[in-house]
Amino acid sequence: MGTISTAFSIMTQALDADQAALNVVANNVANANTPGYTTETATFQQNPPIEAGGVSNGDGVTETGATSARDRVLSERLNQQQQVASSTGAELTALNTLQALFTPDSGSSSATAGDISSDLTGFFSSFSSLEANPTDNSLREEVLSSASTLAADVSNAAASLNAQSSALDQEASGVTSQVNSLTGALAQLNVQIQSTSPGADAGTLEDQRQQDLSQLSQLIGINQITTENNGISVTTTSGQTLVSEGQSNQLTTGAVNGATHFFVGGADITTQLASGGGELGGYLTARDQDIPGVLASLDQLAYSVATQVNTLNNTGTDLDGDNGNAGNIFSAPAQVAGSAAAMSVVMVDPNHIAAAGAGLGTGDNSNATAMAALASQAIVNGDTPTNYFANFVSVLGSTVSNVQTENTAATASVTQLQTQSNALSSVNLNDQASAMSTLERSYQAASQVFTMLNTLMASTLNLGEQSTVS
Amino acid sequence: MQVDPSYVTNIVGYLDQAQANQQQLTAELSSGVSITSLSQNPVASGENVLLLNQIQKDDSFTQSTNLVTGQLQVADSTLGSVVSQLTQAISLATEANNGTENASDVKSISNQISGILDEVQSLANTSYQGQYIFSGGQTSTTPFATSSASSPAVTTYNGDADINYLVTPTGQKIQLNVPGSQIFLGAGANSVFGALNALVADYSSGTVDTAQAVSDTEALSTSLNYVSQQRVTIDNSINQVTSAGDAVTSAQTQLTTAQTNLMQADVGTISTQLSLSETQQTALEDVIAQMESSSNDLFSKLQ
Repeated sequence: MGTISTAFSIMTQALDADQAALNVVANNVANANTPGYTTETATFQQNPPIEAGGVSNGDGVTETGATSARDRVLSERLNQQQQVASSTGAELTALNTLQALFTPDSGSSSATAGDISSDLTGFFSSFSSLEANPTDNSLREEVLSSASTLAADVSNAAASLNAQSSALDQEASGVTSQVNSLTGALAQLNVQIQSTSPGADAGTLEDQRQQDLSQLSQLIGINQITTENNGISVTTTSGQTLVSEGQSNQLTTGAVNGATHFFVGGADITTQLASGGGELGGYLTARDQDIPGVLASLDQLAYSVATQVNTLNNTGTDLDGDNGNAGNIFSAPAQVAGSAAAMSVVMVDPNHIAAAGAGLGTGDNSNATAMAALASQAIVNGDTPTNYFANFVSVLGSTVSNVQTENTAATASVTQLQTQSNALSSVNLNDQASAMSTLERSYQAASQVFTMLNTLMASTLNLGEQSTVS
Repeated sequence: MQVDPSYVTNIVGYLDQAQANQQQLTAELSSGVSITSLSQNPVASGENVLLLNQIQKDDSFTQSTNLVTGQLQVADSTLGSVVSQLTQAISLATEANNGTENASDVKSISNQISGILDEVQSLANTSYQGQYIFSGGQTSTTPFATSSASSPAVTTYNGDADINYLVTPTGQKIQLNVPGSQIFLGAGANSVFGALNALVADYSSGTVDTAQAVSDTEALSTSLNYVSQQRVTIDNSINQVTSAGDAVTSAQTQLTTAQTNLMQADVGTISTQLSLSETQQTALEDVIAQMESSSNDLFSKLQ
């Protein structure tokens, strides 16, 4: 049978529960702008009824704690897209710097500084001019000066590419310490979560863990696996374990062939990291694939042009009458690799340009014609120098454009997932205001009931007479 | 329905995009170039390289034509002078051969023809910008020298038979010189110096072996025709250079137009895009301002 005392007890519990729920709302509002905070909802639970004399009496309510509004699958999807977006973002930044070295010539001035295509044409055209008057000193000087311009622009471009590669190398190694500090924090959080809430969402601790995973996803490509007792393991996308419950494996660096390589437990995972994602993936893709690709093209161009021009110069006759031993115009490259960076003009005396054909008089121009004709011969990987460079420019532009498109798509996807995630997990102040209003009403109602019970109790104690008990 | 409470952040993101877009459009307007980086249009960037290459080549060829035209014109006018000298020599020889001249006159004619010989040799040794134009590839060697050790005197050629060509951007080869040996020392009756030296010897004693002198005079006429034929080669080259230069200039104009169309910013389109982008920016700013000024959450309504 219910008593007034039971009703008092029920109301006390209701007031407690409402207060606890108001605490949850207050905490939500307080953390509305905290990064990684997941909004919480108070959970009310009906107390088990009391059976007395065959009658079931309700026994009030208890607030059993706050539940975080979390969707782990959504978070993981967001992290994965974040890895792609960060990777393409970092690569795009590097590629934009890279393509700035090859800005399209507007054509408003015939030769813009640093324009290799214009230099190439200028160089071969200087031989065409020499055809007109093969003994003219100013035309010979022009050949050497255009050769110097070409060599300087090619070697400067190569030097800039190498400098950019070093800068990326440094940025990539800088990521390591951030990764290690995050994996360390994740291992500690695993231990705490496993001990405090092995079977349920760990609330704030879980928020921190998700936040760390999100930050880690911006840095490198990872996979996460949920383990026993609410722990997680984190591996790189290629499968090297970074965090196994309470243990974290350090990502270490070491120099291999002059470049920073990355190791986990002694295994070199640089190549896997490059394709894995995250900023590190982007840096490494730019450092190990994009820049070497561009450099290789420039090397091939420099090597072919220098070698072919030198060979022809040494088959003709120069102004001093040297037949077949006029010397090299460019420093002779020993191999393709490094040719662009090492490109330079070694000829000092313009008289040594062999404009005349083998064994012919110095007024002959057949060798100058042959050297000018190199411009339209397939001397660079089966292509003419200009076509090769035009093709190189198009391919580079397409690469940048593709990465740009990938980055735009990945960023859009991140935004969309982030919106979904925010809609679910962020603190919505309207919802909180509404919840608070509801709880306030509920609290007021409970208070009113409590007051009325109090009046009722006083009447009972005074047995209907006016007395001192009120 | 669940909504993203931080959607203002997204609007700010769109605002950033609109501003970046305006920055790009403004850069295009101010530079006048629509493609400022390779990735904007990779195919056009490649095409641009090829077009500029062709324009630059054409430009260079135009300069070359100016150089060679000078040299070819000097060669042509020199051969013109040679023809008039030879015509004069033929009339002198004809005068000597008609049998009316006395020994002294004949000797005088011999001297005059000898003078013409010297003049023709000097013309054959003409140089342009310090280089002999009739010595083939040996442009630093004086091509012709005459030795009087024997009679008739012998003029020898010290150049070679080398011919230079100018290659046009379309691959056409234009002959730039005719070796002196071909002009002045042709085979048999085509040799200018052979005929002149023979005539000088014929008349030097004052008595004329008419048959021999007539034969040598005919040889000189033949060689004159031969020189004129060689001159045609030079004239043809001048014409070829001129027409190649004209063709290249016209091609260059077309290429420049194509290149400009490819790369130049379309001011009308860009201005419209810029205006649209500005409108978008204003709208976004208004939305953000509106959201910030109005107390738009329920808390502000709670009493």
